[in-house]
Amino acid sequence: MKALFSVTFAVAGRQLRRFFGNITFLAPAAFPVFFFAAFAGGLSRVGDVPGFEFAAGYTAFQFVWALLQAVAMGGAFTGFAIAGDFESGFARRFLIAAPNRGGIILGYVFASLVRTTFTGSLVFIVAIIAGMEILGSGVDLFGLVGLALVVNVAATLFGCGVAMLLRTQQAGPLIQTPIFMLLFLAPVYVPLELLEGWLEMVASLNPLTAIITTGRSFIAGDPTGVPTAFLTAFSLVAVFLIWAYLGLRSAERSG
Amino acid sequence: MERSYGIEVENLVREFKKGPRAVDGVSLSVSPGEVYGFLGPNGAGKSTIVLMLTTLLPPTSGTARVAGFDIVKEGSGVRASIGAALQEAALDPFLTGREHMNLQASLHGLARKERKVRGDELLERVGLSEAAARRVRGYSGGMKRRLDLALALVHRPKILFLDEPTTGLDPQSRSALWDEVAHLAREDGVTVFLTTQYLEEADMLADRVGIIDEGRIVAEDTPEALKAEIGRPSVEATPADFGKLDAVSKVLGRFGEAVPASSGSAAVRLEHGDLATVVRALDAEGIEMANLQLNSPTLDDVFLEKTGRSLEGSSDGEESDG
Repeated sequence: MKALFSVTFAVAGRQLRRFFGNITFLAPAAFPVFFFAAFAGGLSRVGDVPGFEFAAGYTAFQFVWALLQAVAMGGAFTGFAIAGDFESGFARRFLIAAPNRGGIILGYVFASLVRTTFTGSLVFIVAIIAGMEILGSGVDLFGLVGLALVVNVAATLFGCGVAMLLRTQQAGPLIQTPIFMLLFLAPVYVPLELLEGWLEMVASLNPLTAIITTGRSFIAGDPTGVPTAFLTAFSLVAVFLIWAYLGLRSAERSG
Repeated sequence: MERSYGIEVENLVREFKKGPRAVDGVSLSVSPGEVYGFLGPNGAGKSTIVLMLTTLLPPTSGTARVAGFDIVKEGSGVRASIGAALQEAALDPFLTGREHMNLQASLHGLARKERKVRGDELLERVGLSEAAARRVRGYSGGMKRRLDLALALVHRPKILFLDEPTTGLDPQSRSALWDEVAHLAREDGVTVFLTTQYLEEADMLADRVGIIDEGRIVAEDTPEALKAEIGRPSVEATPADFGKLDAVSKVLGRFGEAVPASSGSAAVRLEHGDLATVVRALDAEGIEMANLQLNSPTLDDVFLEKTGRSLEGSSDGEESDG
């Protein structure tokens, strides 16, 4: 167990040193802020359409999606970094030195959590400045943050699996595209009840829909579907944990 | 169970999909504290063996124990016992030398206090103290190699794998690295498994040498014993008049079998006679010589004898996948 944690903290420490030691780290953080500003600002009239009822207002409605987008893309960016480590050969240092290689995955996840906390906080600050109304209590907000962190872990594990399977930066689109599709095939602009046709059907099947809907209910101070949302999020973590381990095994076999 | 800090390899095979057998039934044994030189041209299978012994690549078949641990079933034990500096130093250009030391020490679970002490000690030992705070992207090739060696030693491994550690280095850096490796083996009792394509390196550092070609070990012994096996020295003659080269070859042919020589020269391995008789024979033919030299057998001669090819030059311009 000690070996596992040594490796975890070593890998995470190096990732974070790179992330915060380089000014370009701000670039990925700008995406969710941009999406939030564009959707909450440019589409604010959507909140006036008949049937749209969200007590905390359209800015808060969009904030939850922007937050989940930030944490999910944080996982994707960690996936890019892993792919880069394999392509450059640096990952061999981890593989050859780590007594317990599971710690490599955990280390990347831990670093992603710290990184996403930074990005998420940035989105939160921008939302507060933009006048977001929060009707939920501290406990509700804690629930929202918890949900976001679990989504980040799931996204990071997904990216980790793809990166370790392909071991090239060309894995980037394969990490990013499915995450983007899940994010945009959810009720992004209006609640699920206002969607129609194929989009409504796809959004109903999208596991992110339950998470986003519950996230929005947290900020509106009326938590609904909490067990389903957390069960869905943890199920994604379980599935992508296996996926990440399969990726690690593939990397171990490749030399 | 008491562990022996040696290496035991039995019938190791590695096949790549749609590729040749990179390693074809290699068996070898390295005693604790020994420096074992693995000599061969590029593509011979040297690096593939190192990747397998360091648990970075599983073998297709065969078994190997490193420090008493099975490389397939006890990979974690192997990794805790070894240090490795591979052909391409795996360094992060955005981290400093000291940050690399800290990272490596953390990976091996060294306590925070020990990390700094050990890191500083090794940086000093490889002459990188002054550059320790600089990012690695500004390091020269030699500095990167030295840092890589220091990183491999951070947890005081009993076995050290060095995969072509001096390839691409200038003579000064190469010599410094040789001194360090010799010191590790002789003073610290570290078992060293060294792959190289440089004859001089194997000759100078290795207690025993394994010569590998096309995935198989073709000869294995101490450098002296291998050279003694070849036995006879060779004579290389350069005529003052290039037009007399054929005549020189004919004369030399009386004394043994022709071997490769430099341009404008002819050479034979002496089967009978000695240098004096060769000189008399050339003199009797009235051939004026620009240069005449007697060469003791080298590891290249051994390689030539065993494979029919010269090691020197066979490495040039080829891809380096060992």
